[in-house]
Amino acid sequence: MMDMLQTVDVGIVVLDREFKVKVWNGFMESHSGMLPSEVRDKSFLSLFPHIDPQWFAKKSRPVFELKTRAFMTWEQRPYLLKFPNYRPITGNEQFMYQNITLSPLTSANGKVEYLSMMIYDVTDIAAGKKQLEALQVLRSEEEEQTNRQR
Amino acid sequence: MYSVLVCDDSLVARKQVAKCLPQDWQVAVHFAKNGSEALNSLQQGKGQLLLLDLNMPVMDGYETLKAIKEQRLDTKTIVISGDIQPEAFERVTQLGAIDFIRKPVNPETLKQVLVSHQILAGDESGNTDTYELDPDIRDCYQEITNIAMGQAGDHLARIMNVFVRLPIPNVNLIEVSELHMMLSDIESHEQVTAVCQGFLGPGIRGEAICILSDSSFEDVAKILDIQEDVDDQVQLELLMDAASILIGTCLTGLAGQMDVNFSQGHPVVLGQHRAITDIIGMNRLKWRRTLAIELSYGLEGYNVQCDLILLFTEDSMITMNKKLSHLLEDF
Repeated sequence: MMDMLQTVDVGIVVLDREFKVKVWNGFMESHSGMLPSEVRDKSFLSLFPHIDPQWFAKKSRPVFELKTRAFMTWEQRPYLLKFPNYRPITGNEQFMYQNITLSPLTSANGKVEYLSMMIYDVTDIAAGKKQLEALQVLRSEEEEQTNRQR
Repeated sequence: MYSVLVCDDSLVARKQVAKCLPQDWQVAVHFAKNGSEALNSLQQGKGQLLLLDLNMPVMDGYETLKAIKEQRLDTKTIVISGDIQPEAFERVTQLGAIDFIRKPVNPETLKQVLVSHQILAGDESGNTDTYELDPDIRDCYQEITNIAMGQAGDHLARIMNVFVRLPIPNVNLIEVSELHMMLSDIESHEQVTAVCQGFLGPGIRGEAICILSDSSFEDVAKILDIQEDVDDQVQLELLMDAASILIGTCLTGLAGQMDVNFSQGHPVVLGQHRAITDIIGMNRLKWRRTLAIELSYGLEGYNVQCDLILLFTEDSMITMNKKLSHLLEDF
């Protein structure tokens, strides 16, 4: 069963209330280049110094306190963790676009001691959407051109 | 004036059908005793809507439908017949009938069919009883939402130090057209941001829409304790966070009472991540009605106005009613 966690194409990280890393799956290992043994019980924020600790604390507070999920979408923040693109040879994008869900993990006593972070790779979707927007801009520019010539 | 042609060989049946037409519908009613009479009337433009019996002398319903097709007469045909074999239904729809009503006709069914084919405008003058929620079920949904809100309000009060004015939830079945109006309204108001999030549980599907007025933003930033300067992108992220908290706490409360777990999709900002016109433009939506629970939040001491709308698909209600049957017994 642990194989599932290792092979699934989604990043899974479990953090405790002090943001110490408890689980670090295969996806995270491959993309970050850090082994689970290297990161275990280290502070997540010290591993990724470009994350604003205050912002991250605020983002995760409702997860611990209200047991609700928190979301980050690529439209607002292209990525939380700067991973290289999945397709280094044929891909156009420089980095992996990410959608991230923070969910509470409730322990037997009903308290939330840990949160799970799921990291989805949405690079293809983001690239497609950006292309579509670029085309729309191009089209409206062309329309303006033809209108001017009339 | 819209004209309706009733075609049946029995005088009683003709009268009965004519009586079933909606009372407040201003129409000219014409009658025909068989298919060939009906065709004559149609050729004279009497009958934008044809209510047609199948078994008649001289020219029966099937032949009439064929002739209408051949002569390309401009009319919408609803077959009204006692013959309810599936085959009959199949045949008449192939011949171009838009719907089939079983005899004896009753006013509700007829009205429903007329509304569903946009022949009759939806409920402007009072709802038809058929669309009403059973009052017991409505009370039950209202009650569980109240409890969920109470829990959510309590959490928010303790964590965010805000006092939530608890609204009375408004529970209704709403039509596609009403949702369209609501969404167009959001679009025409530049001062609101709507965040939409799908949720999913066993047998229950729905979407939550959270509408925040942009004037709430400063106070939302205060509540979430944001000190740094914010650009538009961060502002949007804040609104999404606020929406996620409101949607999440309310859903958690509902899920707890129904003893299910909801999965939630990623939230999208309507009009930014997804153009509202796209949603409204889809005039062929796959559903007709949805259960809507509306809540208007206010926060004491803050200028935060927020509407939370939970939409459930119609088929979710079957599951929900089962889950809540222990409550329904008390009513």
